[in-house]
Amino acid sequence: MHLAEADPSILSRRAEIVAALNALVPGGVVSDRAGLAAFDGDALGAYRQPPLVCVLPTTAAQVAAVLKFASGNGVPIVPRGAGTSLSGGALPRGDGILLGLSRMNRIVEIDLENRSVVAEPGVTNLAITRAVEAHGFYYAPDPSSQIACTIGGNVAENSGGLHCLKYGLTTNNLLGVKLATFGGGIVELGSKSGSDRGYDLLGIVTGSEGLLGVVVEATVRILPKPPVTRTLLAAFKSVPDAGRCVADIIAGGIVPAAMEFMDRRAVEAVEDYSAPGYPRGAEGVLIVDADGLKSEVDDAIARIAEIARGCGAEVREARDEDERARLWAGRKAAFPAMGRLAPDMLCMDGTIPRRKLPEVLERMSRMAEDYGLGFCNVFHAGDGNLHPLIIFDVMKEGELARAERFGADILRLCVEVGGVLTGEHGVGVEKRDLMGEMFTDADLAQQQRLKCAFDGAGLLNPGKVFPTLSACVEQGHMHVKHGRVPYPNLPRF
Amino acid sequence: MAEIFARSEAEIVDAVRAAREHRRTLEIVGGGTRRSFGRPAPCDDVLDLSALNGIVSYEPEELIVTVKPGTPLSELEGVLAAQNQRLGFEPQDWRALLGSSGTPTIGGAISANASGPAAIRFGRARDHLLGFRAVNGFAEAYKGGGKVVKNVTGFDLPKLMCGAMGTLGPLTELTFRVFPKHAEKIFVTASGDGAVLRKVAASPLEATALIHSGGKAYVRLDGALDEKTAMLRGFGDFAETDRLPALPLPPREWPPEPPARAALTRAVKAAFDPLGIFNPGRMYEGV
Repeated sequence: MHLAEADPSILSRRAEIVAALNALVPGGVVSDRAGLAAFDGDALGAYRQPPLVCVLPTTAAQVAAVLKFASGNGVPIVPRGAGTSLSGGALPRGDGILLGLSRMNRIVEIDLENRSVVAEPGVTNLAITRAVEAHGFYYAPDPSSQIACTIGGNVAENSGGLHCLKYGLTTNNLLGVKLATFGGGIVELGSKSGSDRGYDLLGIVTGSEGLLGVVVEATVRILPKPPVTRTLLAAFKSVPDAGRCVADIIAGGIVPAAMEFMDRRAVEAVEDYSAPGYPRGAEGVLIVDADGLKSEVDDAIARIAEIARGCGAEVREARDEDERARLWAGRKAAFPAMGRLAPDMLCMDGTIPRRKLPEVLERMSRMAEDYGLGFCNVFHAGDGNLHPLIIFDVMKEGELARAERFGADILRLCVEVGGVLTGEHGVGVEKRDLMGEMFTDADLAQQQRLKCAFDGAGLLNPGKVFPTLSACVEQGHMHVKHGRVPYPNLPRF
Repeated sequence: MAEIFARSEAEIVDAVRAAREHRRTLEIVGGGTRRSFGRPAPCDDVLDLSALNGIVSYEPEELIVTVKPGTPLSELEGVLAAQNQRLGFEPQDWRALLGSSGTPTIGGAISANASGPAAIRFGRARDHLLGFRAVNGFAEAYKGGGKVVKNVTGFDLPKLMCGAMGTLGPLTELTFRVFPKHAEKIFVTASGDGAVLRKVAASPLEATALIHSGGKAYVRLDGALDEKTAMLRGFGDFAETDRLPALPLPPREWPPEPPARAALTRAVKAAFDPLGIFNPGRMYEGV
């Protein structure tokens, strides 16, 4: 993948840009080389690029002022939460300001009566639950990186997690935001009561990957903690058996709180890494949570166990909270466990119709053999969201390119069977050039017109999500051929 | 005034192209039952989508259904109920409140973001539209979103279509996630006020309706009914009843937006419909 060349006319103005930011955010500007190296990318590890300068505001007014400066002076802006994006959403630009929100990390309000929490964007996902759990509440979306990732980043990426099968993505748990717009104003979208009239701008900003504005405050819905949670582990003799089990559970009208699949390679890697107690030798393992009141959980667990056994699985239940925590910790450790097997890793994120699971898993295995790369499959089975992990070594000639081609082929396969490129990680730079696989020129043009409505200059997180640059005035006529861009070195958006 | 009955997306594209050429405005109508909702917005012609109807695909085991916008709500709900499934939202019938006739359609319900009491549990209508096809003011057919339950590819355009009152253009196909249907019971307490409902909302009952109406508090529960009923009675003197009260109509007009937000609203409208062809003025002046 090609990253944009830095604009020399911006580079030549670096000193004055740094001085201006110092005036707007005193004590919050990082401009020395060593300091900037700490901000040179996110969790899409294969790409590194230090920003022109990094600014770390502490107030919404400072964010608005920085955006106004950038807009007035034609400087690109890349917003960043904790830098945990797996798609390169926070990858800096050499000619752009990196706007880090990590210092805006206060919880502004806890309103138990209305089951909501107001937080600044740099508050971590887990910190919201920590702030309310003593009162019996929690924040439902739980991306695996929840100890580090921020609520502002969650809104920008519409993050999911293990439990979104029952509880939805960020967008379904978000009541409102204050958004700093590129013109330098702050607008309130949504409301604590959940009602909002007019266009659903909150809905469109959520998951917009930092292209439409910068979240300076988020109001989220918290839920009462379910009184009972039980966890089953089912070990299958074949992958199609596991796929059938998933389909039967969903078709049976059961909505588990979470339902995760790991294939044999993932199970072996995780057992070698942290030994959570998964059955080695199984071709696939499902971990299923049911939560709620005792009678409904008991009923769901009994039916899930029966369905799994009917699909030839060996089923056991976590005996206590310790074992439950261990089974889930193992699943969340799949990423670091695979990371031990090779220096570099790509984590894909397509979603497919659930009934296509066996077919897609089979075809991915054959692709892996063709490419000669190690990989394993971990996924949110309940909603068909796949996370194939491809391991490689960027220092070996051609391996990065081969891994990226393998990843792209997996995503093409997802689209071919009726699915989508990304279920929760976002497009970022990683899948940008594949957008044409899923969307037509007309589809992409319409999305880009919306981008222009919020950011006519195309300076907010440029180079992300869309495969090609088109000036906002030309929006009526744009030509993208299968996402491939004729001049890949041109700056985009 | 002409009335155009579109039977396909291609016919809608033709109608919009003609409207562009002749600079005419179009009132987008489904069943016409919510037609008087919003600001009065007289249009040159009517684009009637009621003939663009029917289930495109329904896979109960995927919990996903794709329909055309003119499909009567009752037809869709019946097809889902036959598989023991339901929409996650409950568009209310506004005919009595608005004095309208006709047949409520799924396209009209989504355009009004008509969500009903289940919003407390499953979210509003906007939380259930996974993908759509539509025609914009450039006379181009396009799609937004996808046909799987979990998708963050590109902007979440389906959210924007919900509650847009047709001002961003006619929808031609809609894909929803659906839910298993469980037995349910409705309870009422005469002594109830808002406080008891807040307690229920903060409990693990996962109520599918919480309504305070006429000095009474109504709660609807589904799923593990024995256990939930016992728990509910711990909050107050609840008795079973057979129906929820009708929700009042939302205010017919939209409150004015603060200037910065109004500017975004106008820019979004222009991104889809720069000539102001579709339902102009229905939500806000100039939108």
